Amino acid sequence: MKKLVIAAIGAALLSAPLAFAQKKNLVVGMGSADAGKLDPHIASTTPDKGLLSWMFNGLVRLKPGSINPEFIEPDLAESWTSNPAGTEWTFKIRRGVQCHHGYGEYTADDAVYSIKRASNKATSSYSNDFNAVDKVEAPDKYTLKITLKNPVAGFLGYVANVNGGNQICKKAAEEMGENFAKKPIGTGPFMFAEYQPQQFVKLTANKQYFRGAPVLEDITYRYVPADSARDLAFQSGELDMIYGKQDQTWMDRTLKLPGVKVKAMEPGELSVLSLNITVKPLDDIRVRQAIAYAIDRKAIVVFKGADSSRVAVSVVPSGYLGTDEKAPLYPYDPVKAKALLTEAGYPNGLTIKTIHTTLTGMQTLIEAVQAQLKKVGINLDIELVEHATFHAQIRKDLSPIVHYQAARFPVADVYLTQFFDSASIVGTPTAVTNFSHCNVADADIRAARSATDPAKQKELWKAAQEKIIKAVCAIPVYEQLQLWAWKATLDLGYDLQGSLNLSPPITEKTRFTK
Amino acid sequence: MTAFVVRRLLFACVTLFAVLTLVFVLVRIVPGDPAQLILGDQASREAIEALRQRLGLDLPIWEQYTRFLAGALRGDWGVSMVTSQPVIGEVLRVLPWTIELTVVSLILGIVLGVPAGVYAAIHRNRLTDYAVRISSLLGLSFPPFVAAIILLLVFAIALPWFPVISARSGSFTAWYQSITLPAVSLGLISAAYVTRVTRSAMLEVLSEDYVRTARAKGVPWNAVVWRHALRNALIPIITVVGLYLGILIGNSVLTEIVFSRPGLGKLLIGALNQRDYPMLQGMMVIYTLIVVLVNLLTDLAYGFADPRVKLK
Repeated sequence: MKKLVIAAIGAALLSAPLAFAQKKNLVVGMGSADAGKLDPHIASTTPDKGLLSWMFNGLVRLKPGSINPEFIEPDLAESWTSNPAGTEWTFKIRRGVQCHHGYGEYTADDAVYSIKRASNKATSSYSNDFNAVDKVEAPDKYTLKITLKNPVAGFLGYVANVNGGNQICKKAAEEMGENFAKKPIGTGPFMFAEYQPQQFVKLTANKQYFRGAPVLEDITYRYVPADSARDLAFQSGELDMIYGKQDQTWMDRTLKLPGVKVKAMEPGELSVLSLNITVKPLDDIRVRQAIAYAIDRKAIVVFKGADSSRVAVSVVPSGYLGTDEKAPLYPYDPVKAKALLTEAGYPNGLTIKTIHTTLTGMQTLIEAVQAQLKKVGINLDIELVEHATFHAQIRKDLSPIVHYQAARFPVADVYLTQFFDSASIVGTPTAVTNFSHCNVADADIRAARSATDPAKQKELWKAAQEKIIKAVCAIPVYEQLQLWAWKATLDLGYDLQGSLNLSPPITEKTRFTK
Repeated sequence: MTAFVVRRLLFACVTLFAVLTLVFVLVRIVPGDPAQLILGDQASREAIEALRQRLGLDLPIWEQYTRFLAGALRGDWGVSMVTSQPVIGEVLRVLPWTIELTVVSLILGIVLGVPAGVYAAIHRNRLTDYAVRISSLLGLSFPPFVAAIILLLVFAIALPWFPVISARSGSFTAWYQSITLPAVSLGLISAAYVTRVTRSAMLEVLSEDYVRTARAKGVPWNAVVWRHALRNALIPIITVVGLYLGILIGNSVLTEIVFSRPGLGKLLIGALNQRDYPMLQGMMVIYTLIVVLVNLLTDLAYGFADPRVKLK
């Protein structure tokens, strides 16, 4: 009898590892109703970019979990060199990297194809990023040479694993054409397996991944648009990782759940009020200054939540290469604001219109701003429109004040060019998102772009920020971090500070501890 | 009857044409540029113009309209601007989910609502009648998404009987697990409607002479209620069920979102947010067809419920 008991216990112990086997399937809950276009050169929304980043590589990459462009490491390129002027870049491509689903070896040919595709306005949302590219060639199977028309600030960032830098496999893209977005083929740790409309995208492990086979076997990326449903499904254990509702109350509530990690990660999306300096009454700098003095940034961060947001430091988000972290922003001074308004001929206050989106997070901010402006006699007339309408109308110059919230590649040049270079003024043929018609810092922005001495470049960026702030083209308010939560049993495999692809990287090392 | 059906279907074509034209114009009047939305906010103006050209959005509106009509007549509803997939395919992929949810919750509504209404009517002004009336009033006035969240909190979190994400398929258990909560949440509302209509229709019929006659000649009370009275009360009930079917399909959007189920409602919201014109047009055709079809079925059902109704 005793023997039998021992044998039974022994058998139980032997089978125990099976019963407690590590979980190998990661289920992620994303806050959108469905997938968009799953093409890394087109995708521009958080849900699509976050998913694609687990399937693709760049020539170089930002260290997983970091968004600091100073820590760039090899990805599909093992090494690289450039000439002293920074106009000729040579990349040595890693040997033996396999494209997903048997599309063959990734070589310099694929790299040439990817970069040309990302530079082509017909196939890419990010063609602007490659305007300076003159030639892309593959002298041999494992060498890639890029020639630029002029040096580009932070050029490596454009060939990193973000947006147009994502490397796709030529054979697959040519074979599938428009259908590439239905079955995207890359070289990353996970590969596309299945798509069920409005339900999920399933990825499986790429066992041939060049950094080693992933520990996780598959990822189910579920579309759960309702914040409450995502929270409940996370609580019930159906989801292992969720995109949070982007506000402090969600963070406080989720932190109270047992066995859960919550992170407010980089990049911070900078909330900026662009003031159209060409229309009345904002063409008077005293009115713009009055608005700047009337906004209490600290109070806004208290309102938005101290863990999920932070005070803006400049007209470029904090932490970017070239951000002036101590930029001379206007301090909160309502008395001065009133005095300036009186001086400008508005002793009894005035009314200014803004067209604004109904996106909740942004709407609460503009209402807080409205309350602060009211105190100095400025009546902010908010015309609420649905998000797509908002995007169309602000690009037609219909809103004198434009509230925009965005993060960009963390090099000051990108933000400064898109929002403050006069070439980017909305309505012009080269328009991007310069809503203020700002043109005071063109010379510095452009000189910095092609400066080869990093110290000089930072000087120029600093000067540009000072000029923009002084002219009150825009008033930076606060930065909203990206909120995510996951089970404590999930070990990401790196220290998560942020991700330019807006979702925590899931790498070959990511695993469940139980 | 065949002539009746054919005539109704021809009339439906006219309705469809009118709806399509209206939708075609309306979606284009609303500001918002599909190309901008697809490419995102960092795209260059050139890229946006190039995409507008590829999508045919740069053509004069009348030309877009004639192209669209010509395509529609050939049965080609175009491709979604966002996914580049044929609209019909996209709609058909999620349509079964919506139909399933609607039908199950309607059946639930009838199974709960009709007996409750009959019971309340024959116990008029008694305590049970008040109880039924108050609960059906609650069902009508309760916002469906609140009911949905409460159902989830109770039956998916506190008692982990059902999943929160109600979109499983593959086996009967999976199906049953993922249809129950959404169907109950919608079914309770339709039950509330059906209960109230059944009760008032029954009250009217129960006071008729032939009911008194039947009772006087000794027909058992159960037979009087269920065979004589209910059959005569069916017409208003069928009308409400028919009307409500259309409403249910429209209302399913909130249920789909809260229970994370695929469906037409979610597709419509997505198409609206993205200004996906061909998708919106295609969906309007489907919605119009469903409403026309349900009305037709309702009319046909009158004939079955009451042979005196002649369909001309």
